[in-house]
Amino acid sequence: MKPAQTTLRGSGWLRKYAGHYQLWIMVLPAVIYIAIFCYGPMYGIQLAFREFDFSKGLTGGDWAGFKYFEQYFNSPMFWPTLRNTFIIAFFSILLGFPMPILLALVVNSIRSNRRKRILQTTVYMPYFISTVVLVALLQIMLSPTTGLLDGFLKALHLIPADTNLVGDPGAFVPVYVLSGIWQACGWNSIIFIAALSSVDGQQYDAARIDGANRWQTVWHVEIPAILPTIIILLIMNMGNILSVGFEKTFLMQNSLNKPVSEVISTYVFNVGVKSNQFSFGSAVGLFNTVINFTFLILANSLAKRTSKISLM
Amino acid sequence: MRKKSILALIMAGCLAGLSLAGCSKGNNSTEADSTNSPEGKTKLKAIIVKHSLTKDVGEMKWLTELEEKANVEVEWQQISADWDQKKSALFASGEIPDLLFNATANSDFVQFNGLFEDLGPLIEQNAPNIQKMFSEHPELKTLATQNDGKIYGTPRYKGIWPASTASMFINKTWLDNLGLQVPTTWDELETVLVAFRDGDPNGNGDKTDEIPMDFNPIGWDFTPKLLLGSLGLPLSNGATDGYFTEGAQVKNFYVDERFKTLMQFLQKLYSQNLISKEVVTQDYSKYQSVARGSGATAKVGFTWGWETGDRFGNELKDQYITLPQLKQHADSTDELYWSNDYYYQNYGSNAVSISASSKNKEAAMRFIDAFYEPEVSLQVLFGGMNDTDKGIKDNGDGTYAILPPADASLDPGSWKWTNSFADNGPMYIADALKDKVTLGTDMQNVLKEKAVYEELISKADEKTNVYPQNFMKYSTEDTNILAMNQANINNITDQKWASWLTTKADIEKEWAAYVSSVNSSGLEQNLQIRQKAYEEYLANLK
Repeated sequence: MKPAQTTLRGSGWLRKYAGHYQLWIMVLPAVIYIAIFCYGPMYGIQLAFREFDFSKGLTGGDWAGFKYFEQYFNSPMFWPTLRNTFIIAFFSILLGFPMPILLALVVNSIRSNRRKRILQTTVYMPYFISTVVLVALLQIMLSPTTGLLDGFLKALHLIPADTNLVGDPGAFVPVYVLSGIWQACGWNSIIFIAALSSVDGQQYDAARIDGANRWQTVWHVEIPAILPTIIILLIMNMGNILSVGFEKTFLMQNSLNKPVSEVISTYVFNVGVKSNQFSFGSAVGLFNTVINFTFLILANSLAKRTSKISLM
Repeated sequence: MRKKSILALIMAGCLAGLSLAGCSKGNNSTEADSTNSPEGKTKLKAIIVKHSLTKDVGEMKWLTELEEKANVEVEWQQISADWDQKKSALFASGEIPDLLFNATANSDFVQFNGLFEDLGPLIEQNAPNIQKMFSEHPELKTLATQNDGKIYGTPRYKGIWPASTASMFINKTWLDNLGLQVPTTWDELETVLVAFRDGDPNGNGDKTDEIPMDFNPIGWDFTPKLLLGSLGLPLSNGATDGYFTEGAQVKNFYVDERFKTLMQFLQKLYSQNLISKEVVTQDYSKYQSVARGSGATAKVGFTWGWETGDRFGNELKDQYITLPQLKQHADSTDELYWSNDYYYQNYGSNAVSISASSKNKEAAMRFIDAFYEPEVSLQVLFGGMNDTDKGIKDNGDGTYAILPPADASLDPGSWKWTNSFADNGPMYIADALKDKVTLGTDMQNVLKEKAVYEELISKADEKTNVYPQNFMKYSTEDTNILAMNQANINNITDQKWASWLTTKADIEKEWAAYVSSVNSSGLEQNLQIRQKAYEEYLANLK
């Protein structure tokens, strides 16, 4: 877009930005929202460096420095929580990220509009189930004595007969990740379907004339078309690597699977909120955020270097 | 590209910001609405944490009458689930209602210093009933008084509840069907459970639908931790987080050799398929519903619970009997104990607290005091004495009878919890009232059933083997250390018993490493702090 007004005087800086004033007005509500609701509350970060004292307010406690960070690093729960968080996040991304792309490619290749719509609607549906209901469903379906799905899997000998899907530590991550894919796959594929719809029809025609089969069309036409979307979304996902969904983990947690299900967010909740250790909780939460931020930057610079696609 | 990168930075910042919960302390904006209603009544706001069964308190006629009498108009906010998760946020905001029923704990007074009113002076000026309670039972005043000499919550006292929370039940009909004797030792119990598993004791032709044994997670009330009493370990008052006292020493059963012995026994039972497969993962409602069987067919052979009617339902309750404490082996010489829960069942702290920023503290105190009038306290516990609430019948001669449920589909226990504040309310059932109340069938039954444990319970010496955890007081620093350590300790103990129970892990071999990891997670420090507080308590005990 070219600057609309070239008559404006003043410094080059001002002219450059004032020229796009319509765009700036459009982005203004978002900036205000982010300033108030995202940057505003960040003054609370100092809680992680202070002794929380209720009578003196959030920012009134004595300065504690890195005491609470050290307390976390030295706590016996530091490695277990970090490891559990990483394992869950790693498998969620490894298995959960490609699935929507595959689904989008499948949906895109369906010719009949009616069938396409039926398929899409069916796979979206689970997304609207609340986490609480989903976990309750899981617990009923996977119960080792009365669970329908559990009985089905055991009848087909897909899992050993003495497995307790809601309890065994080994079953926690698969159940967590697969149920997550089942729930979010359809929804997450929307953005890829949208990207695919923008592929120029001429490219398909050209591929067909060149004698490309279905696989070659996917590989040489469709994947390159949605690659920028894939990379951007992957970078954003990396920024959430340690933000393993609190609700679902917490709800699925029990004494049996706790060795693998106690993640940073549930630990913050158990210690910080339930035991009123606000400063400690803030410190652990801040640590979590710093790791996330590091991953975001790393993924971004890696993508920039290898494919020249990045957020900044 | 430039603009894109600014946006990206903002978004990155956003991610960072989102993960920090925005708990801002509210500024001291005072409520704008007037504090007096048109009829000249004082308006109060109250929060009540009630049982999930309890109906809307606005429908309780006795309560409406009580508000009338105290000349107050109360706006109730009612919480029936997850209070311990909600309360930190509410308290940290600093905006709390005038009255808090069943919503506060000693640690809150320490951590939210200044949020709650010291009730001491208010009680002296406006609360004759509470004063009377304190003079008749001075230990209630001790219970309510914090380290700094202040009272932030009024206590509750029942005195008519049994001294044991859990009973051990076994299905006598099943034993008779299989021609078996009531077990008296762990070894005999194992034989019986094997017979339950292999036979068809409920006689429905299906040999696989019997669950020989079922219980709650170890830390809860209805669990095999009670069997520690077979090994001479005196539990008391719920043994919350595993703490108990023995010979005036505070100890924790999770690191006690006798707990190892128990876990080995339970592991052996589990490996033989004698314990429900869902014992660790099921929640309380499933635990309850399984034991209620289907129709007249019982499903569970041996389990723990409060009372047979409550545990097995009206139809099956007669099949079960209370099982006295077992010996480990026929030739064991260990002293037998049963958990002494007298304080846990009859004394409660912090039934009501008042906000320090309340504008009508006198009226609030007057209202609280009204609950402690003997006849009102009865209604708090059992339901109103009127034709709407149908909780209690006034015989007119100074005696009262607890009425059976007006809703025939409910058992008396559920009716009580539905119909009134029940055990969660503020109350003082004066000892003088004890002989004048005819209890409901459930309570009569409870007392009858639990009689088998009386001798063992009374054996626990008040001064050495009974640990009343709610009487203990800690400083701010100690409270924080205890909470922090406990979270780490529970992380280990919670998962360890469950994994030992359900796997073939070699407990003997893992034990030493487990004990040292629990100790280094803060248990040693917690025991020291608790020991100090317990000794202070003993010094004041008369």
